[in-house]
Amino acid sequence: MITAYHRPESLEEALRLLARPVPETIPLGGGTSLARVKSDDFEVVDLQALGLGQITVRGNFLEMGAMVRLQTLVESEAISDALRRAIRHEAPLNLRNMATVAGTLVAADGRSPFAAVMLALDAQLTLVGGQPPALSDVAEPALNSAEGSAVSLGELLLLREDLLPGALITHITIPLNVSLAYEYIARTPADLPIVCAAVAGWPSGRTRVVLGGYGASPLLAMDGPTPDGAQIAARDAYSEAGDEIASAGYRSEMAAVLVRRCLER
Amino acid sequence: MKITLAINGIEQSVEVAARDNLLTVLRSLGYHSVKFGDEHGLTGADTVLLDGRPVNAGVMLAAQAEGHKIATAEALGMHPDQGWKKTEGLHPLQKAFIETGAIQCGYCTPAQILAAKALLNKNPHPSEAEVRAAISGVLCRCTGYVKPVQAVLRGAAEMRGETMDDGQRMMGEGQRTTDDGRQMTDDSDLWSVDGGQTATRVLPKLVVAPETSPYHTVGQPEPKVDAVKLAQGKPAFAADLEMRGMLYAKVLHSPHAHARIKRIDARAARALPGVAAVLTYKDIPRVPYSTAGQSHPIPGPLDCFSLDDKVRFVGDRVAFVAAETPEIAEKALGLIEVEYEVLPAVLDMREAMKPGAPVIHDEPDYVNFADSDPSRNLAAEIRIDIGDVEKGFAEADHIFEAEYEVPKVQQAHIEPHVVVTYWDEDDRLVIRTSTQVPFHVRRMMAPVLGLPVKRIRVIKPRIGGGFGGKQEVLIEDVAAHLTIATGRPVIYEYTREEEFIAARSRHPMRIRMKTGVKVDGTITANEMYALSDTGANGAHALTVTGNTGHKAMALYVGDGQYRQSPNIRFYADIVYTNHPPSGAYRGYGVPQGFWAVERHMEKIARALNLDPIEFRLKNALRAGELHPFSTAWSEGREPRPETIETNALEECVRQGKAAMGWDQKFGNEAWRAAQTAVGGRQSAVRKGIGVALVMQGTAIPYLDMGGASIKMNDDGSFNLLIGATDLGTGSDTVLAQMAAEVLGVPVEDIIVYSSDTDFTPFDVGAYASSTTYVSGAAVVRAAELVAERIKKRAAKMLDQSDYQTIRLSGRRAIAPDGRAVTLQEIALHSLHMEDQEQIMAVGSYYSPVAPPPFAAQFAEVTVDAETGQVTVDKLVMAVDSGVIVNPITASGQIEGGMTQALGYAVCEEMTFDEQGRARERDFHRYHIFRADEMPELETIFVETFEPSHPFGVKAVAEIPMDGVAPAVANAVRDAVGVDIDDNPVTPEKIWRALRQLERG
Repeated sequence: MITAYHRPESLEEALRLLARPVPETIPLGGGTSLARVKSDDFEVVDLQALGLGQITVRGNFLEMGAMVRLQTLVESEAISDALRRAIRHEAPLNLRNMATVAGTLVAADGRSPFAAVMLALDAQLTLVGGQPPALSDVAEPALNSAEGSAVSLGELLLLREDLLPGALITHITIPLNVSLAYEYIARTPADLPIVCAAVAGWPSGRTRVVLGGYGASPLLAMDGPTPDGAQIAARDAYSEAGDEIASAGYRSEMAAVLVRRCLER
Repeated sequence: MKITLAINGIEQSVEVAARDNLLTVLRSLGYHSVKFGDEHGLTGADTVLLDGRPVNAGVMLAAQAEGHKIATAEALGMHPDQGWKKTEGLHPLQKAFIETGAIQCGYCTPAQILAAKALLNKNPHPSEAEVRAAISGVLCRCTGYVKPVQAVLRGAAEMRGETMDDGQRMMGEGQRTTDDGRQMTDDSDLWSVDGGQTATRVLPKLVVAPETSPYHTVGQPEPKVDAVKLAQGKPAFAADLEMRGMLYAKVLHSPHAHARIKRIDARAARALPGVAAVLTYKDIPRVPYSTAGQSHPIPGPLDCFSLDDKVRFVGDRVAFVAAETPEIAEKALGLIEVEYEVLPAVLDMREAMKPGAPVIHDEPDYVNFADSDPSRNLAAEIRIDIGDVEKGFAEADHIFEAEYEVPKVQQAHIEPHVVVTYWDEDDRLVIRTSTQVPFHVRRMMAPVLGLPVKRIRVIKPRIGGGFGGKQEVLIEDVAAHLTIATGRPVIYEYTREEEFIAARSRHPMRIRMKTGVKVDGTITANEMYALSDTGANGAHALTVTGNTGHKAMALYVGDGQYRQSPNIRFYADIVYTNHPPSGAYRGYGVPQGFWAVERHMEKIARALNLDPIEFRLKNALRAGELHPFSTAWSEGREPRPETIETNALEECVRQGKAAMGWDQKFGNEAWRAAQTAVGGRQSAVRKGIGVALVMQGTAIPYLDMGGASIKMNDDGSFNLLIGATDLGTGSDTVLAQMAAEVLGVPVEDIIVYSSDTDFTPFDVGAYASSTTYVSGAAVVRAAELVAERIKKRAAKMLDQSDYQTIRLSGRRAIAPDGRAVTLQEIALHSLHMEDQEQIMAVGSYYSPVAPPPFAAQFAEVTVDAETGQVTVDKLVMAVDSGVIVNPITASGQIEGGMTQALGYAVCEEMTFDEQGRARERDFHRYHIFRADEMPELETIFVETFEPSHPFGVKAVAEIPMDGVAPAVANAVRDAVGVDIDDNPVTPEKIWRALRQLERG
């Protein structure tokens, strides 16, 4: 049960509230995932007054504040059609008007289309506050600096429980000079994906292949200098991705098909 | 904490708790247009505009909204005439929703209108796709989204200043034309906005029965009588009642599929401040009853207890709590200590009757019905043999056998089950509940609560959809026990999770078919065995599964000599398992049956190289023939022979084929494969087309009874009081139309009230597709009696010797010579002036027959043969539902039903883990169709005049559920050549079948 609501007007104040060992305090973006929080008593820090709602193009990069709403991103002319399609697939309009980019990524499970495409784009998150993670090779060390440190989405998804307590995501950056394709299979056009694939290609030939539809988070199947081997990597990556929704055999084969289709685009 | 909210332009200072969401706070402030639908914002019933954008108030803290502009439907518009005060009237969108029939139950209507308003504020010229996207955050389970989309497009036009004449506003007689000797209504040019799939048609195509030509009101697209209040979001629903001292109820649900409660200790919960009562099985009387809302005597076992010392499914009741706030009640649940003795569970219906299976109902006070045998986990058994089935098989050239499977699915009405109970000043218990069966609630709750029927009053307000789920007397006892315990008003509203784990659902079945066929396609014998999973209780066990055979196995009787004497066998075992109980769900067992029958017929036709439609029609039941089951079974009561008087199935097929372009597409390989490839590769995408023919029933003969009373007022208007239950179907409106037709007045002169067990006549309620037919006949009877009294008085006033020569029309009683008196003059005369009397009458009706509606349902699909993904592109339903009283409300029923059935076809399924725990507990995992992913829907009415009803009507409500799933699967068969026998038809099933096909 939520016992207190805070709406700080500075990052420092927000971090101070979040850094308290007790009571348990969590950042509040749009609130669309709040119903899933199962903690007994906790406080929330609403981030809406921190000025984190801007979308900025910086050269070949798009920087979005953590509080940018999904629908604001959909309406931005700066993003690709594939990213727009994945965001629309993520949630219906009402929820997109509330859900924030950072909150959606933090709460994402394996069936999140938005997390899948952002992972393919190798999104970088700026993290402030919190404690350094236990694993030394994960992120830059200066986690407590005012500027924050860059953490890749891949790292964050793996280490959410380690990285996020007491911390705040302030910005998310994605490259703009990257081609992106998103394909999925679902029971209906708007249903959550049974399996989905996002493939990002850099001008250098670098290719990142991400699969979704299964597990706790989307899975990076390949990050290679060229697209070569992408289908095989996808098939292998989902070779054990079976659950009550789909068999591993199906997901594995479909991962390869969808990746091929992404590459054909 | 104190916050300031800017609501509809007015700043309000509000004291809230940090945990309070905006939905709770808005409702506490009286903004009842904002509704609860679920905890995750996926229904969108809780939509408000925040700074002009639609958001979900239920997933936003009230404190988050401070500093933002909040808009609710209350600020949109209001009734234009407030007595001496006139207003600007309704908003154009509200008017458009009313005019197009976009409002059915109305629970989601304010949300849809707000979402549309947000769109139109930014984009006055939206395309249909943009409209669909804009309202995609608001789920509607009633409409199929066709009419809401039309409404938004119409409202947009109105807001742009484009005008329509009266004929365009509401489709009237003037638009009827003649085609091929039949009267037709097809206003395809009536309201063309952008050429989208729905925008160009306001009314369905209607092949009009000639007998309807004299009607003025029946047959017209009258706006719903409750639409104005629903468009405004008025507090019309059960949860909208606020009472001083109201307590909030919560239920502790079982975590085990099968267990005995060894110890339960509620002391800590009772000690929690704010807790008013905690009830366990030790605290209330143990009364066996059935939750099935059916007539007396209940045709099923009495195997439920309000609380028991045994739990039989995950989600079963363990204890009730009433507290000052929902949060305290929730906290109290966690303080109840329960020690369970976990018992072996039955989680596979095939295991239920095996020797040594755990016995789910071992209680000594279980009350049997018919063949129920709890020692074998048998809730009901059906054995029906018509003709000589074995002889029929022996005479066949081919025998086709196959097994089919259908899943458990949820009604998913957007308004959850909700009830408010309180003692009135006369110490009578008032139950205000979202129910389809108010009179059954009163009768069935009386013994459970230890009250006589006369001390219970049940009020049915507006209902936010039911679809059979509210034919269950499901939660009324919880609130009532707590009111009895505390003496205080109690509200109990299901969470969305409770709807999935602790409400009723469609019976899953495993169905075996065996059919004998001659080489020319004549069916010689047809056999079905259904194993049906009733879950932990046997409510509706016999009757649902009985209808599986009674309707689905009645359609194909055979041809030639077999038509005269069909050979049909229907056996069923309905077994207890430790799944949540099954129950009534629109279609009532028939969709399960037609999944098997229509898949089976398709396979037979293709195996014998017969045209699938000609094969079906060759063997289908025809007018003038005996309903084959009418002499064999009648819902556990005495069966009586019944002849089919009307059946326009062949015309339905003709109309449906034309709408689908069937003759151009079926068997056309070029059409099937005409898809563009991606990336230059050969496309794996193929098109397919499929059909299913179906029939349903209309009410339960010799059982279902409806009553109506009509009372004349001083101004010549009438109060129509009916026990019938409009749960969003529009039945209040069509009943008013029938009364208006008889009384010669416009519908606006009929003031409809339904239902209140203290005031309205008895009616069995809204189920079995009975309301328009049975309750409608009761209304007509009452109206005819009132009309007779009016005519007698008019004859007296006009010095006319024969009152039977008087006719009622245009609010007047008119003599043959043209002299007339107004109804107002007659009313004043009767109430105040001479031989004073209250002109009033009661009518009631039960039917000796249940005339079946018939339909042809078509589906067009696109299948990706590489992935198995199927996309349904178009659904067409041509239906013979007798005379259509209101084409707008009736087509709304068809469109909404097709959409529900589409979910049954491709995505809806309740599954359970190995412990019996539901996997689907919200609308994330249990997906129902959204506005922006719908196929094109087309409805065609082929009228017949059913002679057993004064206006020739048959039912329309349930039949759309029956044929969509098999039509989709048959279309998949047409597209890629594989048969899916267990629905829903999902990508992996198709992919596996295709791989199997490739391997040979």
